[in-house]
This record gives sequence, C-alpha cells and structure tokens, in this order.
Amino acid sequence: MSLLSFAQWLQNTGFATALRGSWYVYPVVLSLHLVFIASFGGMIFVGNMRLLGLAFRSYSISDVVNQLQWPKRIGFLLVLTCGALLASSKAEEYYYNVFFWTKMTLLALIAVHGLIFRRSVYSNTAAIDKAPTIPALAKLAAGLSLLLWIGVAIAGRGIGYIEPPIEKLHALLQVPRHAPASNPR
Amino acid sequence: MFVENPLNASELIFPTLEVCHILGFTVTLGTIALVDFRVLGLGMRRQATADLARDLAPWTLAGLVLVLLSGPLLFSSDPDMYYLNRSFQFKMVCLLLAIVFNYTIHKRVVRSGTTSASSKLVACLSLALWAGVIGGGIFIAFV
Repeated sequence: MSLLSFAQWLQNTGFATALRGSWYVYPVVLSLHLVFIASFGGMIFVGNMRLLGLAFRSYSISDVVNQLQWPKRIGFLLVLTCGALLASSKAEEYYYNVFFWTKMTLLALIAVHGLIFRRSVYSNTAAIDKAPTIPALAKLAAGLSLLLWIGVAIAGRGIGYIEPPIEKLHALLQVPRHAPASNPR
Repeated sequence: MFVENPLNASELIFPTLEVCHILGFTVTLGTIALVDFRVLGLGMRRQATADLARDLAPWTLAGLVLVLLSGPLLFSSDPDMYYLNRSFQFKMVCLLLAIVFNYTIHKRVVRSGTTSASSKLVACLSLALWAGVIGGGIFIAFV
C-alpha cells in the first residue's frame, strides 16, 4: 500500500468524512488545536527563554525545565491528537500539500533535536545551573528549538493556503480509489 | 477618495501577519495559561503564583502588543467582511472581556497568591475567555 492510497483510504473512512462534512466539528477541532498550541507553546517559549537567560532569571534552569516537562508532554499530546484528526479528514489533499510535508519534516527535526540535546542540556540542568554562565550549547539548543517551532507555525499556517485540485487530479490520473497508484510526483 | 490598502499589494503580507498574530497570541495566552495552570496546581508548583504572575507579565504584554498590532492590520484587509462576521463580533467581545478581566480581577487574584476555590474559578474563567477569543478567530472563516 503506497502512502497515497493510505491517505485516500484514510480520508474516505466514515470517521474522516463525518469530521469534514459537519460545518462545525472541523472548526471546533481546529480551534482546540490552536488553543492547545497557545498554552503548550507558551511553555516551550518560557523554557527556551530561560535557557537563553532572557526570562525567569530568578528561577533555576532546573526548576523551569523540569517542572514544565510533564505539562509540555501532556500539551503536545493534546495538540497532536487534534492535529491527527484534522490531517486524517483531509489526508489525500495534504499528500499533495508542500506545507504539510514541510511541517512534518520540521516536527521530525524537533524529535532529532530532542535526541541530540537531551543528555547535554535538558537532562543536564543541574550542571548547567552550577556553571558560572549558561553554556553556549544550552543556548544553541534553545535557539534552535525556538526557530524550529516558529517554522512549524509558519508551515502550519501555510497548509491552509494550498488547495490541491483533487477532482482534477483524479480525472487526470484516473486513480481508482483504494487502489495502489504510482506516485504522481 | 478611495485608496488601495497597501496590505493587498503582496499576497505574502497577509499570511506573514497571520503568523505574527499566531506567535503573539501563543506568547500571550501561553504565559497567562502558565499562571492559570499554577493556580489550578498543574505545574510550576515550586514557584509562588504571585512571583510567576509578576515575572511573566512583561511577556504577556509583549505578546499582546504583537497581537494588537497585527490584528487590526489583518482586519483592514477586508473590514466590511469582518465587521459583519458573527464570529468576529463574538471574538471582539471575548477579547475585550479577556483583557479587562486579565488586568483587573485576574491580576488581583493571582498576585494575592491564594489557591482557594474562588481563585481556581478565576483561573478557569480566564482560560475560557482566551479560548473563546481563539475559537472566535478560527470560526471567522467558517460562518
């Protein structure tokens, strides 16, 4: 099963069709997506600003980073759930959406960022607090994290600006639904 | 005299302002939510609510300035549509209430540092008002 046929199958499930079909369910999920982004994004912002030494300087880095770890995880899960619902309802359209793939790539890079800096920065806050100045590596991690998340916001907003002509593509490619298709790219 | 809004001169200006708007309200709502979560006992519990609120206030305001600069510019791209849009009207009412609430009752309660049931109610009301602002903004394109 190719990625395209998976996307077509997903978009045509009863669940995704219902989500797309109701005039208010889709915008409600989208609103929740944004509300959770705002509250969880604030934690990312504050944590990284602390690592950069630009906010919360009266608290230790350990205090800020460690105490936000679980709220951030829960927030991310909520954002991800809403995002997955939104994406499933338009899966085939998003298959052709360059901003969607940009966003997914940036999210993958954020996962890589976490793996790279976990040991040296995020699980190493006690040592960072003891250092006379905030190490450049910690600042680099924080700066990169902020840039990557801003990129996710930009790409995320961009998704809505692309409307691939699905019907035309279907006619052009004569893709039978649910059947494996050659990659049109 | 009719003057073309320079905002409509490039198709990149509107989405750029939208991204500023999103980043701005993320900082605003994010910092307010952090205080509200603290009042509700959901994170940053080693810090006093009053300290947290005082230290985050400048960032809340910075985000709010970004939002209140980008918002009216977005509005200016198609004022008639926004003015008559039910969801936009709802958003403006929520926004006014949220800002007034944030700098009056909410401010007094979080800076008193109490975590009584009534201050928890204030935290929930604050979150609900800001969620209403965001929801109202999203629904503009759907009503």
